[in-house]
Order: sequence, then C-alpha cells, then structure tokens
Amino acid sequence: MMLIPRLALRNLLGAGLRTWLNVFVLSLSFVTIIFLQGMYSGMLRQVSDATVDAEFGGGQYWQANYDPFDPLSLQDAHAVIPDSLNNLIEKRKATPVLIVQGTLYPDGRVMPVLLKGIDPNQSFLNFPSKSLAVDNEELPVLIGERMVKSTNLRKGDSVTIQWRDANGTFDARDGRIVEVMSTIVPTIDAGQMWIPLQKLQEMMLMEKEATIVVIAEDLEVSDNVAGWSFKDIDFLLTDIKQVVKMRTIGSSFIYVFLLFLAMLAIFNTQVLSIFRRRKEMGTLMALGVTRLQLIRLFTLEGALNGVLAATIAAVYGIPLLVQLARNGIGLPGDFMDQAGWAIGSRLFPSYGAALVLGTTLLVLIVTTVVSYLPTRKIAKLKPTDALKGKLS
Amino acid sequence: MAQTPTADWILNKVDENFGSDNKIIVSEMVIHGRRGSRTIKSKSWIQGRDKSFSEYLSPPREQGTKMLKLEDQLWTYTPSTDRTIRISGHMLRQSVMGSDLSYEDMMEDPKLQNLYHAQIIGEEEFLDRLCWVLELTSKGEEITYYRRKIWVDKERYVSLKENRYAKSGKLLKTTEVLEVFKAENRWIPRKAVFKDVLKKGKGTEWHILSMEFNADIPDHVFTKASLRR
Amino acid sequence: MIKFLFKGLFRDRSRSLFPFLVVVAGVMLTIIVYCWIMGVTSDMIRAAANFDTGHVKITTQAYAEEADQKPNDLAFLGLDELLKELRKDFPDFVWAPRIKFGGLLDIPDEQGETRSQGPVIGLAVDILSPSSPEWDILNLEKSVVRGRLPKKQGEILISDDFARQLNVKPGETATLISSTMYGSMATANFVVVGTVRFGMMAMDRGAMIADITDIQFALDMADGAGEILGFSDDFIYPEVKAEEISQVFNSRFQKKDDEFTPVMKSLYKQGGLAEFLTLLEPIVGGILVVFVGIMAIVLWNAGLMGSLRRYGEIGVRLAIGESKGHLYRSLIAESLMIGFFGSLLGTALGLACAYFLQTVGFDVGSMMRNATLLMSNVMRARITPGSFVIGFVPGLLATVLGTSISGISIYKRQTSQLMKELEV
Repeated sequence: MMLIPRLALRNLLGAGLRTWLNVFVLSLSFVTIIFLQGMYSGMLRQVSDATVDAEFGGGQYWQANYDPFDPLSLQDAHAVIPDSLNNLIEKRKATPVLIVQGTLYPDGRVMPVLLKGIDPNQSFLNFPSKSLAVDNEELPVLIGERMVKSTNLRKGDSVTIQWRDANGTFDARDGRIVEVMSTIVPTIDAGQMWIPLQKLQEMMLMEKEATIVVIAEDLEVSDNVAGWSFKDIDFLLTDIKQVVKMRTIGSSFIYVFLLFLAMLAIFNTQVLSIFRRRKEMGTLMALGVTRLQLIRLFTLEGALNGVLAATIAAVYGIPLLVQLARNGIGLPGDFMDQAGWAIGSRLFPSYGAALVLGTTLLVLIVTTVVSYLPTRKIAKLKPTDALKGKLS
Repeated sequence: MAQTPTADWILNKVDENFGSDNKIIVSEMVIHGRRGSRTIKSKSWIQGRDKSFSEYLSPPREQGTKMLKLEDQLWTYTPSTDRTIRISGHMLRQSVMGSDLSYEDMMEDPKLQNLYHAQIIGEEEFLDRLCWVLELTSKGEEITYYRRKIWVDKERYVSLKENRYAKSGKLLKTTEVLEVFKAENRWIPRKAVFKDVLKKGKGTEWHILSMEFNADIPDHVFTKASLRR
Repeated sequence: MIKFLFKGLFRDRSRSLFPFLVVVAGVMLTIIVYCWIMGVTSDMIRAAANFDTGHVKITTQAYAEEADQKPNDLAFLGLDELLKELRKDFPDFVWAPRIKFGGLLDIPDEQGETRSQGPVIGLAVDILSPSSPEWDILNLEKSVVRGRLPKKQGEILISDDFARQLNVKPGETATLISSTMYGSMATANFVVVGTVRFGMMAMDRGAMIADITDIQFALDMADGAGEILGFSDDFIYPEVKAEEISQVFNSRFQKKDDEFTPVMKSLYKQGGLAEFLTLLEPIVGGILVVFVGIMAIVLWNAGLMGSLRRYGEIGVRLAIGESKGHLYRSLIAESLMIGFFGSLLGTALGLACAYFLQTVGFDVGSMMRNATLLMSNVMRARITPGSFVIGFVPGLLATVLGTSISGISIYKRQTSQLMKELEV
C-alpha cells in the first residue's frame, strides 16, 4: 500500500508554509532538548576530565592513614612506597605524591599550607610540574593562581616555609616561586604548594616515602597493596556526580514542557487539517478508501511531521551543536570555582549517541501518538455528511 | 688562674644551675594577641621531657583546666565539661592558648647536655652581664630544634638569651630574659619574652612567680587520675 | 461595534471557545515554564546564599581577608547592638548571625574518657529563637536523618556519616574542643540530638550545627559573631537592593584604620556570582524565545482554525455589503479580544500554578537519597515581575497574527465561493 505514505507526504508538503512552520517548531524543541542535555553531560565530563587529568589520574593508592579531610592525619599518612607500586612508577605508569603539613609566612602572617612533593618529570598529570626541575640549591615552588590571590605572592618571589620533619624537628627555608600555574582544578591549587618530590623527601627525612600514588589512566588496577588502599575514579568523583545529577533532574522538567508544547502544535494542526479536509475525506471514502486507511493517512501525515522535524533539526542542528561543542560556551571562571568546580571559562557540551537517538525516537513516537488521537473522529465519519462538508 | 672553660663544661654548668630531676613552677603567661593581651596563671609539675602536669589557676575561664603529658600523649581535663579528653600527639605542636609557645615548648624540660654538642663562638654583653655565646648542635635525631644559640651569664651560668634555629639555619624563635632572681641557690629567669620570629606580633611574656627544684612529687601526679582530682 | 463583536463571540461558542481555550492553555504553559526556569536558576544561587554568602554578608574587614581559616579572633563584637540597628534600618531584610568554627569532637565512654574522636567543622546559627529564619534557610526539618532537631541549649546536630564513624547515637554526649576568640582552649559538652545530611562530602565527613548562644559561650565570644548573613524577606535575591544597602551600611559603619569595623558585601561581590548570573540571562532568554515561538505557532494555528470555520459567515457578510476592510478589521478585533482575555485567564491560571510550584514545589526526593541542607530536594518555580506580562506576548501576538494572515484569504475569495461553503 505505497499509496498512503506517498499521499501523506504529498499532502504534507502541499500544505506548504504551515507544515514547514510546524516542522521547524518541532525541530527547535528537538535541538533544545539535545542541547540542554548535552550541556549537563558536558559539564560533568569537563569537570571529571579536568580533575582526572590534573589530579586523580586513573585512580589513587592512599596510604592507610591518609584522610584528605583531616590535616592532622598527615603526620602519620606516609610510608615507604611498596615494591609493587615502585614497579609501576618505574614503568612510568604511576607517580607518587608526598603530602605534608607546613606553615607559610607570607608577609608575617601565619598560613597553614599543604606541601606536596611530586616528580617534576612526571608525565601524565596535567600540570606544569616540569617547572620544578630546577637544578640549583634553591627550593623551587609551584603554586596556582588561587594561592597567589590568598598570599599575594608572585612568580620570582621568595617566601618562608616552615615544617617539621619525620622526627619532629623544625625546619624552615625560603622557597622561590618558580611558576604560577593557571588551572581550572581548584583542588590542586588552593592552600597548597608543589615542590620536587625528592627535595621534600629529603627535607622531611622521608626517603622513598609517599602519601598517595597516582596511577596512569590507562592502567587496570585491582589489588589492594598492604598498607595502601585503592580509590578508583568513581569514588573520587562522587561529589561532582551528585551535583550534576541534581541539575539534570531539574532540567528534565523543561524537556517535558517543551515536548508538550510542540505536541500541542501538532495536535492543533491535525485537528485543523481534519476539519478542513472533510470534503476531501468524504470524497475519498466515496471512492472506496476505508476509514482505517484514512486514519492511517492522517496519522502518517502527522507522524511525518516528526520525521521532517528530525531532518530539519539535523540540517541546522548538527552544525550548530557541533560548533558549540567545539568552541564551547563562555562561562565566568569564578563562580564555578567557588563551588570547587573545575570548569574554567568555557563549557563544552557533549552529546552521546544514546542521547540523540533516544530523543529522536521519543519525539517520533510521541508525534505519532499525538497525530493519531484526533483521527479517531474519522472513524465515526459518514461519507455523505463529509461530502457535504459536515463533520458528524 | 681560670682557664677558658670548654663549651661542654659551660653547658654542664647551665644544666646544673637550671636542671633538676623535676620542677614545680608557678608562672604567668602574658599573651599579646590581635585584640589585646591576656594573662594566664598556671602551676606546672615537670619531670624531664617525658612527664608534665599543669593546672591553670587564672583567669576564671581557664581555672581548673588541667593538662597531662606523658611522652607524646596529651590529655586535658576541663571542669566545665568534667571530661578527660585525649588530645592526639599532633596537638603538641600547636600553640598554647594562642601564645608563641607550643605545648611541647611549655611542657618539656630537657637537659641540654644530653641533646646538644656545644661550641663557644664568642663573648657578648647582654642585660649588663658578660656572657659566653654558645652554639649548640643536635646530637641525635629526635629533637625539635636542631640548633640553638645561648648567651650564658659568665658568673651565674644562667642562660639569658636563646635563639632556636631550623635545620636550614633559619632563625625560628627567640627568648630574651628581662630579669633574673635567685631561688634555692640557683639563678632563674623571672621575666622572659618568647617570640616566634617568622610571624608578626609582640610575642609572649613569661613570668615565673616561684620555682621549686627536686621537690617530692608523688608518682600519682603524673597519672590520669590526678586530672580529675 | 465592540459590543456586537462581544455578543457574537459569546453566543457562538464553537467559534470562539476553541481558540480561546488554546490561548489559555498556551499562555498558562508559557508562564509555568518561565517561572520554572527562573526557579531552577535561582536554586543555584540559593545553595551558596543559604550556606555561605547570604544575599549580603557582614564581617569585620580583618575576618573577610582570612575567611577561609574561620578566624574567630577577628570576629566582631557588639552583635546585639548591630542586629538592632540592622533590623531598624533595613526592616525588609532578615538577619542571621553565624559563627563558623573548627575543632575536635570527642565522644566519652562510661568513665568520661575518650571513646572516639574526630575533627569537626562547626556552624553555629540561631536555631532556638522561635522566629528564627534559619530553619527555612538551612532546610533543617527535612534534612534530619535520625533523631530530632534541637529544642534547647546544649543540643546539637552532627552529620549522619560522622555520627556513624564516631559510633554515636542521638541522645549521647559529645564534647567540643576548639579555641576561643582569644586563642585559649575551649571545651564544651553537648548532647547530640539528631543527625543531618549536608549534601557535600567535606561537611558530611564531620560537621556539627549548634545554637549560636552555646557557641558564643563556649568560644568566649559573648555578644559576638563571625558573620551576619542578610536575606531579603522573600528569599529571592534582590540584585539592586543588596548593592544599595551594602553601600549605605558601609558608609555609615566603616572606620578607617580599624580592622574590626564591620563591612557588608552583597552576594555579587563575594565571588563570581555576578558574572555567572549575567551569563545565565542569555541562556534563559534563548530557551524562552524558543518556547514563546512555539506558543506563537500553536496560537496561530488556532487563529486559523477560527477563521476557517467561519468562511460561511464571512461569505454572507460580504454578500450583505460589508466592506472587506471592515470585515477584516472586525476579525482582527475579535481575535484581539480572544487573545487578550485568553491571555488574562491563562496568565492567572499560570501564575496560580507557578505560585503553587513556588511555595510547595515539586519534591524530587524519591529520585535522590535524602533532602540535604545545601540543596533542597524540592524544585521550585519563581514568580517574577516578568511572568505577569510574558504570557501576553504569544497570547496576543500570535492570535492576531494568525487571524490576520488567514484573514487575507478573505480578500482573495470570491463571494460566490464563500456562499457555497455555507452548505446550503
């Protein structure tokens, strides 16, 4: 029965402007839904990626006493790196970080600070640790811009840092800020200073020791090493995921409304169309077309709206969305920062195949159903009345 | 004819003058903060580096608060809560009452000779007294201040000024005595000022009101039970 | 003529009812979505405001500079006086004094010695005053996991995870060890009467909420507070007002050379919220344009429908001699009326729903674990001045547009054809 689809299409296209307008509106809903959803996934992915790149790596081994929320625990949260982890480090698949509590004296003020020692030549965490590969007697220090704000220190400045080594002996040195990094991940910036791992180990009399060992992203890890517990990325990202989930639920209501409205438009059009064409229907019925076929025809016309909408949406939507995904949306850096989010100045939406296909399917199905509803009137249509122009 | 004494000998005399098996000290601490100064009076029983018991006598808010230090464990009792609370050893490094001294500084009475090698590096006048200047370098590992410099009164063998240094040689804290007095045939600082050199501020003053040496301190003083007494 | 048209509209329901209903429905939806979007965006601000920044925040200059370290030694004194003045001078704001502190929470065993202990972040707010705004601000009632809310002094709430970690149950004692404003050690006993969920890992690890009078006493901060948060009394951030009162306050209270004078900062000035809000505007605008656009098309269709049904009548009128122009204008006038009244009713209904959504909200609790202090599980809409008018844009415009375009066909049709469609 090729006739019906062809007829439907012809009718639809024949309606001209009205069809295109409806289709356009529907496609707008389409694109908007995908965009919003993409924005949230993009947000999640961006924050996760940035944090994973700069801090979490593929997961971390935490020394048994380490508790990131309890600075007092740092005194005991260090141990000699076990052999199995050392193997990974040598293969450049892991990098150790030693974290120690210290005190900073910028300008005579007292400021507690975390001293973090990292291998300047580590290659898989995304921050400029190379700047610490300085070969002189000075103590090179790497800080982030947020630290600059809270300490008023600048690149090239020296500042007194005090700490107590593994025996509790006080030590203090002047460190020189060799680099100020601009990072979107606040958790490697605020309240901490980075120095070369070896120097820190020497200063602290903690040779070959570390507090955490960060694993490269492509590594498959499963075993727990004695005295160290493995924290995978999911665990490390818990907080972030929670917040994004909240936001996504909030916006789903907007989708519902958007869709609803678009469906209202389609419904309207169908009613209109049925009303206008009753004579035509009467004629067709007189010619032998069954009611069922008529219903199919009109339903199909309505549904085709959805198809056309999807097509149009693809036509302008794809380049638009791809453009946005590539260039991102400008964001003010500070606010997200305040909430501890590593997003930075541009948000890049990300669209999953599931998202796009799912939305398309949803819209098509809903459109079809909505198109069908008004056609039930046709079932009661008497050809004689219809010919006359009445809608019984 | 007195020869120039060796540094070790001088240090020994210093420890003889000030050192004892134990001490009972009644003192006042004047803490200069950003909002003004306050005076805290306390009585302490100290035995070497490992045992120390303090009770705060005034002002009324602090009165009755007691602290017990046994090696690197610290307990405190406050009458307002009627609780004996164990404070982790990490707290030992924190400042006492907002002063420039840490709990360690306040609750330990080390014999310098045991901990440091000494060297005479000069002579200077301080507080109108002629002093030897000694440089002390740590003998071992478990020590808080790696290096110290002390000005020892040539006649009285009391340390009138002390500088404490980090391993790197950076000056961290200074103590300057303002007045001395004699008790039980020993010369004791009556008033001294402690200062954390790295931070801004006027430092903390310490006034010793009385000091007893080698008193008969019953063992039960250094137990948790005495916190509740 | 209007009366005539009115009569016509009223009497022939089939002519006007359908488009009318469509207008009402469409406008209603527009309003609801608009208010919903407003509500969702203000949610983001709300969490920050309620917990940290308020709509305005007052601290001493010195405190503000080191705020991360919760430097209570730099807090301000003279709270009662200050609150009195604030309530007098800025009566349409709600003022909530707070103290943030840190320390250890120690749980005693039967001998009164340490059973378990953990570091704690503390927030002291006014929870005991009968008219305290903090219950709403912090969403206290809904965030309780076990136990109950404090009813008298000496009672505190701690995070649920923390309670489990310390193995302490509601009803048990906990001792706070912290430092007073002057640096002395502070200790105080409390009874843990309930546990809450904060919704933020750092807080859920170890946080407590106590009444501010208790903490003022414990930390020797009589008549003091670390910060005072101010909220507009409808709890919707008043951009302009907040800036205004900050300037008024600062010019009155600020003394040079005294680092302890109180200083007021609006929400904007505390971090990059200002820019964020500016960014939101175009996004929201975009969504709304799409929405209104869709509405317009729907209503246009309705307009068309209306006209189509009346070809017969139009034919008669033309035949009688009514000029095309006159007819056209009367059609437009009719649609204007439908549009106007439809928008009116639609706006009223829409606002009613939005109001419901604003006050009662939509509880997404079933989808999330528990209500938290920071992010309420209830999603709310927000009625703004714009929402009163926004319905009229699609309501009026679209209906009129639809009618005018379909009406054009009047000019094209032949009278005779129109008569035919009279179905005689």
